[in-house]
Amino acid sequence: MILPEVRAVIRREYLQRVRSRWFIAATIIAPLFMAGLVILPAYFAGQGEQADRDLAIVDGTGVLYERLAPMLEEAGWNVTEERWRSEVVTELRRAVADDVIGGFMMLDELTLETGEAILYTRSRPNPIRQLTLRSSVSRAALGFQLEQRDVDVEAMLSGGELRVEMLSAEDGSDAGDPQFFVAYGGSFILYMVILLYAISVMRATLEEKTNRIVEVIISSMKPWHLMLGKIIGVGAVSMTQMAIWLGLGVLAFASGLPALIAARPDMADLSEIAEALPGIGLIALFVGYFVLGFFMYSGLYAAVGAMCNSDEEAQQAQFPILLLLVVPIIMVIGVIENPNTPLSTSLSLFPPFTPILMWARVAGGQVPAWQIGLSFLLMALATVGIAWVAGRIYKVGILMAGKRPTVPELWRWIKEA
Amino acid sequence: MSDHGFAVRLQGVTKRFGSHTAVEDFHLEVPRGVIYGLLGPNGSGKTTTIRMIMGILNPDEGSVSLFGADPDRTRREKVGYLPEERGVYKKMKCLELITFLGEIRGVPRAEGRRRGGTWMDRLGIGSWADRKVEDLSKGMQQKIQFIGTVIHEPELLILDEPFSGLDPINQDVLEEIVRDFHARGTTILFSTHLMDQAERLCERVCLISNARKVLDADLRQLKAAERKGVIAVEFEGPDEWLRGPEIDRVEPVEGGLHLLLRDGADHQAILRRGVDAGARFLRFELVEPRLHEIFVRHAGVDAAGDAGVPAGVGAAATFWEDDR
Repeated sequence: MILPEVRAVIRREYLQRVRSRWFIAATIIAPLFMAGLVILPAYFAGQGEQADRDLAIVDGTGVLYERLAPMLEEAGWNVTEERWRSEVVTELRRAVADDVIGGFMMLDELTLETGEAILYTRSRPNPIRQLTLRSSVSRAALGFQLEQRDVDVEAMLSGGELRVEMLSAEDGSDAGDPQFFVAYGGSFILYMVILLYAISVMRATLEEKTNRIVEVIISSMKPWHLMLGKIIGVGAVSMTQMAIWLGLGVLAFASGLPALIAARPDMADLSEIAEALPGIGLIALFVGYFVLGFFMYSGLYAAVGAMCNSDEEAQQAQFPILLLLVVPIIMVIGVIENPNTPLSTSLSLFPPFTPILMWARVAGGQVPAWQIGLSFLLMALATVGIAWVAGRIYKVGILMAGKRPTVPELWRWIKEA
Repeated sequence: MSDHGFAVRLQGVTKRFGSHTAVEDFHLEVPRGVIYGLLGPNGSGKTTTIRMIMGILNPDEGSVSLFGADPDRTRREKVGYLPEERGVYKKMKCLELITFLGEIRGVPRAEGRRRGGTWMDRLGIGSWADRKVEDLSKGMQQKIQFIGTVIHEPELLILDEPFSGLDPINQDVLEEIVRDFHARGTTILFSTHLMDQAERLCERVCLISNARKVLDADLRQLKAAERKGVIAVEFEGPDEWLRGPEIDRVEPVEGGLHLLLRDGADHQAILRRGVDAGARFLRFELVEPRLHEIFVRHAGVDAAGDAGVPAGVGAAATFWEDDR
């Protein structure tokens, strides 16, 4: 089915890239790096020296400790109650000075009225822990005050609840915070991966052109076939990379997360991430948007590579195409927040924007099926159109030396090729 | 007339780049099985002609046919092409690159590997098969590229300046390989600005100067026909008699001078004038002209510079230097 020479190009492109050290590094290290970026700060925030986590509470009110202790325990402190006596306080001061405990907190009648408390410590806790302490104290005080008035303390203090009832006929579930994360993160990954691999196609094209091996290759196959082979080859590399990432991700969540939570129970919140993960259908859509996006942009970038003679020229010439990718990434938050306005809908159906913007809407879960179908149809048409134009520019440009063509010259290439 | 007897046939081919005409109304017929030299200074249009044969450039006028057929269909499997500018995939392993170059011309991978290995051994670089191309010297990379050119056993080899960049030993190796292909019936068309090389190898030559064909002939017949045109002399004494009207040019050669005569010159008259002037001749002989001299007779020394082609002017000078 596939011409042998195209197969040879695909095979060469794929193997050369997959075997390169760069690919192995990027594939294995990138997700570790990303995971590290997310998990390590959370881990470090909860971590501290054991002594810092020992906190004595001198409760002059007699009612706050019982409320405060569970909250602080949950946040990772080991709390002990001390009696409101001057010799106890003196002893605690010495313990803090000698680094036996991390600090002690004084609660008194004023705390009950204003939520104000004093923390004695040798080193200032990080802002997150300060905030945790402050809000825990005020919640404990508030809880006591509300209870005096017979209010449902638990419900009030958990921040209340807003139940959203959907009255629209459109199918789809409501978008909560996890969906926002998937929509935005997914769009951003699409942006990065499409750009990364489309630029790879450009560089490969440029390299072949500048080192002139293209003369030998073009004398044995059609330029259009060479371009197609390169794009498919690079595309296959990207799919391999994403498959590995997906596999690693699944592995990490299946084994790593429970282990992490078992080791550090206070990070149990992380398990909520698992619930927010996209299902198979959504992953398939993601791959679909990537593949068509990649084909559109790699065609454009191949044309840019073919019409330039140096990296510098290519850097400049790719700018208009880069804009097509940057504009949607700027608009993505607006689209996630207002997924179904006419503006969002039409922008997301504009093929060059579709991978990023339509994904954002789809991941939010509020897009009718016909729009998803239409988006793919439009992208497919755009891909064919781009392939036609890019193929012509490529055909003329790849063998052309001299200065970069102007727009009217490009137009002539497209007409004459 | 049927052109099936020709491996390459160009008819009235013209190529312009902007206001500059690189090749003008060019006719060329390369019979099957010959070694054909495309000669001329740099910038004269050799590479442009070859690129049009290879379909890398489209002629503005005229037509190209290979083996009497549409070149786009015959080129892939029947033609091996070594461009002037040597390009390789530097990151690939040598044998893989060769195999790839065969594969895009229809040689199955296993067969390509086998042939590639044999060729690498023959050219003395067998031990580099699994090394990356970038680890090799320029000359060795050129060998790899040459193997890539012949890996599909083409019927027509088109070599653009194949000897440039090779040391004398490897030039000899390549010359021998070219003769080998010739013995097996392969048609070889190569361009060069090195006249000596062409003189040793070619059966037919085509001289190009300033985008135009100056001469196109069988080399042996050409030399015989031009025999009256050159006198080899060795003498002692005065030399002002050399400035006669019938002497076009004086070329120093090993052991004397070559006098290039204008058409219709009487060599007896020249000899007489020399003797009268007091020169003592050790040698005065009608000789076969060197190819270089034939070209000078037909194109003129300045021919390459006339058109004001920037690439040609400086390059033409080197061309003549090279040959002395």
